Amino acid sequence: MCTAVRIAVRGRVQGVGFRPFVFQLAANYQLTGTVQNNMDGVKIHVEGAREAVHSFLSDLKNKAPRLSKINEILVEEAEPENKAEFTIIASERSGTSMLVIPIDSAVCEECLAEMNEPTDFRYQYPFINCTQCGPRYTIIEELPYDRPYTSLKSFPMCEDCRKEYEDPTNRRHHAQPIACPKCGPKVQLFDDDGHEIHSRIPIMDTIKLLKQGKIVAIKGLGGYHLCCDAANELAVTALRKRKKRPFRPLAIMAASLSTIEQLTELTNDERELLKSPESPIVILKKNNHYPLAESIAPGMNTIGVMLPYTPLHHLLFADPELSSLVMTSANPSGMPILYKDEEACHYLKGIADYYLVHNREILHPLDDSVVQINDGKLDFLRRSRGYVPDPFTTSKDVTGIVAFGGHQKTTFTIGRNEQIFVGPHIGDLENIETIDHYQHELAHLLKWIDTPKGLAVLDVHPGYHVQKLVQEYNFSEVMEVQHHHAHMAACIDEHQISGPAFGIILDGTGYGLDGNIWGFEIFHGDAAGFERLAHLHYTPLPGGEKCIREPWRNAAAMLISLHGERGLELAKAIFTDRVSEIDLLTKMMERNLNTVHAGTCGRLFDAVSAICGVTKVSSYDGEAAIQLAELADEAISFEPYPFALLEKELLTLDFRAMLQGIALDVLAGKDISKISGRFHETVVQAITSAMEKLSGKNPNAEKTIVLSGGSLHNRYLRKRITAELTKRNFKVFVPENIPCNDGGLSYGQLVVAAAKRSASQCVLEYQQKLF
Amino acid sequence: MEKYISLAHGDGGELSHRLIRDVFIEAFGDGNAAMFDAASVAISASKIAVTTDSFVIKPIFFPEGSIGKLAVAGTVNDLAVSGAKPVYLTCGFVIEEGFPIADLRRIVTDMANEARKTGVKIVAGDTKVVERGCADGVYINTTGIGVYEANIGCSLEFEEGDAIIVSGTIGDHGIAVLAARGELGITVPITSDCASLNRMLEMVLQHTEGVRIMRDPTRGGLATTLVEIAEDFNLTMKINELDLPVKKEVHGVCDLLGFDPLYIANEGKAIIVVAANEKDKVIDLLREFPEGKDAVVIGSIIGKDKGQLLLETPLGSKRLLTRLSGTMFPRIC
Ligand SMILES: [Fe+3]
Ligand SMILES: [Mg+2]
Ligand SMILES: [Zn+2]
Ligand SMILES: [Zn+2]
Repeated sequence: MCTAVRIAVRGRVQGVGFRPFVFQLAANYQLTGTVQNNMDGVKIHVEGAREAVHSFLSDLKNKAPRLSKINEILVEEAEPENKAEFTIIASERSGTSMLVIPIDSAVCEECLAEMNEPTDFRYQYPFINCTQCGPRYTIIEELPYDRPYTSLKSFPMCEDCRKEYEDPTNRRHHAQPIACPKCGPKVQLFDDDGHEIHSRIPIMDTIKLLKQGKIVAIKGLGGYHLCCDAANELAVTALRKRKKRPFRPLAIMAASLSTIEQLTELTNDERELLKSPESPIVILKKNNHYPLAESIAPGMNTIGVMLPYTPLHHLLFADPELSSLVMTSANPSGMPILYKDEEACHYLKGIADYYLVHNREILHPLDDSVVQINDGKLDFLRRSRGYVPDPFTTSKDVTGIVAFGGHQKTTFTIGRNEQIFVGPHIGDLENIETIDHYQHELAHLLKWIDTPKGLAVLDVHPGYHVQKLVQEYNFSEVMEVQHHHAHMAACIDEHQISGPAFGIILDGTGYGLDGNIWGFEIFHGDAAGFERLAHLHYTPLPGGEKCIREPWRNAAAMLISLHGERGLELAKAIFTDRVSEIDLLTKMMERNLNTVHAGTCGRLFDAVSAICGVTKVSSYDGEAAIQLAELADEAISFEPYPFALLEKELLTLDFRAMLQGIALDVLAGKDISKISGRFHETVVQAITSAMEKLSGKNPNAEKTIVLSGGSLHNRYLRKRITAELTKRNFKVFVPENIPCNDGGLSYGQLVVAAAKRSASQCVLEYQQKLF
Repeated sequence: MEKYISLAHGDGGELSHRLIRDVFIEAFGDGNAAMFDAASVAISASKIAVTTDSFVIKPIFFPEGSIGKLAVAGTVNDLAVSGAKPVYLTCGFVIEEGFPIADLRRIVTDMANEARKTGVKIVAGDTKVVERGCADGVYINTTGIGVYEANIGCSLEFEEGDAIIVSGTIGDHGIAVLAARGELGITVPITSDCASLNRMLEMVLQHTEGVRIMRDPTRGGLATTLVEIAEDFNLTMKINELDLPVKKEVHGVCDLLGFDPLYIANEGKAIIVVAANEKDKVIDLLREFPEGKDAVVIGSIIGKDKGQLLLETPLGSKRLLTRLSGTMFPRIC
């Protein structure tokens, strides 16, 4: 009995060996037909025995190449065409364009096995790769992706490599970065004076140095890392001191999953993430007998861990006595990751003792991606290596839209057809080095993606540097999007929510449309527009950014502005070493001198953190809130402090009573963990009651809610807010594949712009019809 | 004579006449200005510079200065940094009813003294009195006329490597005035740098070549003025944080209030951009004057393709600086 089916596969199915895989599969089941790339993905026609077609379909999904990512398989009955064989036919240029920019991925099992096989000609070769693994985006100079346009262009293939490259049945068929010890890149070890340490096996020597407690700068896939033995407290402390990074957690690389199991409590989802081809840093809970240096992540219950993702990294773990390394991106404070050899040597002087480098040039630096499983779902803290620039697909035409992102942790996003390309993590646009890096990467992606310069999208903040940068690009139109609307829209688009929804945005700092700082908002709307329904009571920030760097100021200001004389007393009782400064802050607030007003979740957390004595002066952004959150156990539901909802022009969340309660508890010497937990729960309960109120006032509105903003990384908030709202029959969506922090801002900006553009086009068409 | 200004002092009648005679002419010395609708003055130059500025400041008297001194020095400096030699000044007063005449006398005396010091003549003036509450004490407008001497001036031709010099410590005036208001209860041993710089700058122009531009970084501070130069002439300018001359006390107050000394006003400082090989000579010349004793090179021009100002930090990175904008809204999370 012969059946025929037509199959359309959408997703990441081009440039990942999908057609050869389909060809092989058809051969296995003795099916005939065709496979063809088109602009939408891959089109397949197969026919043969019913059973065989069934098996083919199930393998198509379950045995797809490692690097492919199938979003959708559409199967239709078809007329048998009585084909004699199975063939790969030339690409068809119809459908929506599917531009493919290849993505870096962790070394695969097969390559690793070869690397560890003493008889293989690539035995212990640190640059082994194949079509299913290895460097891509980081080494591409120009598209199409072809060896002469990559950093491998200066390494002519040897006979052996060429044979594999040209053999269609070999897994290195057209593996552009193919290399071996004879023809490919090599590693070298240098001391801090730039003298080469001549050694037959530089990696073995590096291991020895690391075991001695040395700090080694290692050139990897997307840039340089600074490494040291993670179990050596002295080495880690020295690294922190030299890098001038006193407290911010450092990531580690661990030899294997079993090493990680000795350090952390690992769930299945986390295990899968760790060993995925993307191989990100995963934030994991330390276990009770966590044996590494305490100074890696001081005050934290969690630690960022990744597995070795390049063959070179695997070789670093050849010695069982060295099973975890600190691996922090080598960048001087505030600057982008170092990836050029000369710059690395220049900037790392006095920081690194040795340099393990290689001569495969990095053309596009990428930081390690950072994710966590938060309330059972993916939560991106940084989306970069392994994920960038894999496009998202949307339902609108986004051609010609370029979103410039925010100011910190920034990314840009480019639209073409129905694809949305989010660029790499760039960092904070304070320094010209980072701004240059931003412009360099933007220029490349603009060229590769080749979208017209139609609509540039910016944040409404007048002081973001991108406001000025955009002028260099000659877009035909510029649109500004409110910060938290962008956060909300990103989540709406990610979950394809049609129709208006409520948006609860808990964030650090965003410029509000009333000239105040927003960041604790309840909106109602969609990608095209929003109405602001509720927000946190504004309090002054005397000294502006200074209050953010020194949360005790913000805390004192909050107490004083909310409680007057009594607040002043409390502030002085809590910050006993700041009494005269507090008087000054009071006068600044009275005169509105260098004072802005803010109602943001981030600042609320900062203030409580300072009142609790957890972080009074911050050494990295978010420190106060992060350290406070570490104290709140999300497994418990705490008893909230009192709070109020004020029916003003907008519903206003009033935490006066809570702040006073916290201050008194702190002064009474109560347990800080419990105070933190109760504070978290108060925020949860206030949001829940506000939502009930708002939903009651708008009975016709769908009970759909999106949550976003940087504070949504907070495990307690994410879990408890979702739980409480779900209990009240709200359907709650959280960002999963797009960061809820400002790394996701550009995505949201693009989505808003696309929605507004199509809305205005509709109006235009309507008007044209009328006249 | 009355003790306070009344509306009648501004009506053009007898009281006005007496006020001008007893306060202004007394101080400025030359009767001509008051006698005619316009002053006739002789000038021998093929090109003159004209500038005008209004002065509004609280408090009117502050350590080492007053609105009077400021009104002369500010306009003189605007002329001086443009390379002109200040010769004549006019002044217009808007006075609030009830303003103490003794204070007015003090202000006018300060103006006269400063004018004498700088060698500029105040040749015409005007006063208006407004009802109580319609102004805050006194406002002064001055217009200045300067002459250009042949072959002396700023070339406006910049080169990579040109040095950026500031003639002394920054932020003194803004902090001194802020403290003098007394509202914040801060006492700092800081006085305003308010001073006329024309003699010092004339010396620099006469004895060096290669001065590209001079500016006085007043409102908006050093950073705002440098950003303006950078953008106007499409220059990448880099200044070094560690080289910036900032008094310890100014630093302290800025730290307390969340201000950045780079954005605090100065009233007696000049920025000079000069060819690298002339920078030492300029520094030496500046340091011969009390108002230039802390002159120092703070940076250089590092590129000519992008108008931007960079601040090299002790960590080695270069912060992009922008103009002062109303309130400095936090950008950081
Ligand atoms: Fe944000
Ligand atoms: Mg002026
Ligand atoms: Zn492989
Ligand atoms: Zn080879």
